[in-house]
Amino acid sequence: MRILFFAQLKDATGCEFVDLAPPSPLTHDGLWAALLDKFPALAVHRSSVRLARNCEYAAPEAMFSLGDEVALLPPVSGG
Amino acid sequence: MKIEVQLTRCPIAEQISPLSPDDGHGALVEFRGIVRPEENGKAIAALEYEAYDEMAVREMRRLLQSLAASRPCLTARVIHRVGVVPAGDTAVYVGITSFHRAEAIALLGEFLDRLKQDVPIWKRRAQPAADAPNLKNDPLAPKPRPGPPSLDEAMAEIRARCQSLPALRVPLAEAFGRVLRETVCAPEDLPPFDRSARDGYAVLSGDPAKVFQVVDTLHAADWKPRLLASGEAVRVATGTALPCGHLRVVMQENVERSGDRIRVLKEERATNVRLRGEDVKAGQPLVHEGVRLNAGALALLATAGCSQPLASPRPRVAHFTTGDELVPPHHAPGPGQIRDSNSSLIRGLLQGFPCDLQQTHLSEDFESAWRQLNPNQLGQMDLILVSGGASVGDKDFTRPLLERLSFQIVFAQVNVRPGKPLIFGINGARVAFGLPGNPLSHFVCFHFAVALALARLAGETLPAFLRAPLADKLDDEPCPRETLWPARLEWSKGAPFLRPLAWASSGDLTCLAAANALIHLSPNQGSLAPDTVVDFLPALGILSS
Repeated sequence: MRILFFAQLKDATGCEFVDLAPPSPLTHDGLWAALLDKFPALAVHRSSVRLARNCEYAAPEAMFSLGDEVALLPPVSGG
Repeated sequence: MKIEVQLTRCPIAEQISPLSPDDGHGALVEFRGIVRPEENGKAIAALEYEAYDEMAVREMRRLLQSLAASRPCLTARVIHRVGVVPAGDTAVYVGITSFHRAEAIALLGEFLDRLKQDVPIWKRRAQPAADAPNLKNDPLAPKPRPGPPSLDEAMAEIRARCQSLPALRVPLAEAFGRVLRETVCAPEDLPPFDRSARDGYAVLSGDPAKVFQVVDTLHAADWKPRLLASGEAVRVATGTALPCGHLRVVMQENVERSGDRIRVLKEERATNVRLRGEDVKAGQPLVHEGVRLNAGALALLATAGCSQPLASPRPRVAHFTTGDELVPPHHAPGPGQIRDSNSSLIRGLLQGFPCDLQQTHLSEDFESAWRQLNPNQLGQMDLILVSGGASVGDKDFTRPLLERLSFQIVFAQVNVRPGKPLIFGINGARVAFGLPGNPLSHFVCFHFAVALALARLAGETLPAFLRAPLADKLDDEPCPRETLWPARLEWSKGAPFLRPLAWASSGDLTCLAAANALIHLSPNQGSLAPDTVVDFLPALGILSS
């Protein structure tokens, strides 16, 4: 699964995306645990970041599986 | 409601073509969000916007659709600019039409509120006013170059700028040739149960008996679990689900049957059993994201129960031919005229990429040609191809045409032979090419540029150059440009060889019927001896022609 970072999260992680290959589908918490393990600097953003799965906002109970495109979206500011 | 949503890296035009002029609307409400010259009390020269393009477009579309349920309007158009936007420029344009003003005004207000809450677009950083000269820091803005890009540079630009179109779920019957946009894993073990690989008799795998009692007969679709005892056999057919584990199947050719008894005449080493999960275990990837779906991949998806794969859409392609000298193939050309071959060439080449194609011949006069176009309809196109008019002659209007359609020209030449005057433009997620009019240039530009863009639009994992030896001498004068030389990949004694084809000029059509590959020659390469191993780009149909 590919995890995309946007806006200030690119600065926090130093990259635009990272590929994860979890052995089984991840919950929100599981995904965050895997990401914080790699990028501790994301911790301060966690409360404000929304997750998207395959270009749609992910429901709290959503599972993230191999092959999904996941995006970490900090608060938006378009318009 | 008709919805048009676009992200663009180009300035949003002052005048925007009318929204559905004939839909009978009584109100048109337009809004422009302008970048202010100050941010947090400091003077700024520009703001940089970033977007999660694919999701932003989807989310805007979804918002408009859901708002339209309570605010019935006729059309909505949203254009959001991304990249570096100078102060004073439009960052977002919204236009809405409706029968009466109230719905359009309400929809506009609600949409803008939701845009600022839910659409993944960000103001990244402001450029202070003192930095105004650095305004062109947009990383994707065209970079000044000393000369035309090399083949590699041109392909890198196309790769970087063409974005994949939003995927959709399609029935398997409509999925052939589309690109799979999700990795599909096996939902269960394949085969899902131990099954017989032969017509014969299932017995315990370690049973030393020579004579067995046939206790049951199972057919292909039967599911009758039972434990076998020593000396018992079950009649099975190829593909039958075996009644329990630890069995082997004795082929019927190797037994003698009388009544309910069989006698084994010949012992076999093979168990003749296909074990559950021996092809694939549950959860293993079967078909990977980015693969163009062929018959075998579709069969595999069907086996996995993936009846609505997430796949690339059919891009909408507009192809325009230009040139007053062209007549249709069924006409006899008059003096100075030739038959149009490029329409057939492009139509044929696009068969490799499922798409919805519209072909139109344009007048050679710019203003007349402009009047022939329907900008609204063109706004729906994912890819615009213009044949001819790519050079810089008086009547070569492809570039001005694309510019008037708000395309940003990334390059207007590539340092390659043939096909140098290739134009590549981009407008948000939309892509345009001006193809040099000569058919051989068309063929070459299609394969290194248009096919690449189509692969990117579809989200295909891209093939690279391949390598093979030359069958014959390649006879060439050294040329300062890189060359893509038409060739035919052939099999000789079971191994592939490339036969270079003779071509007199970029107008030479005669080699196209045989060409299925393009050999890459470095600048100033000159002739090459037989058996030299060369890089080549496979052309469409390389394995079928």
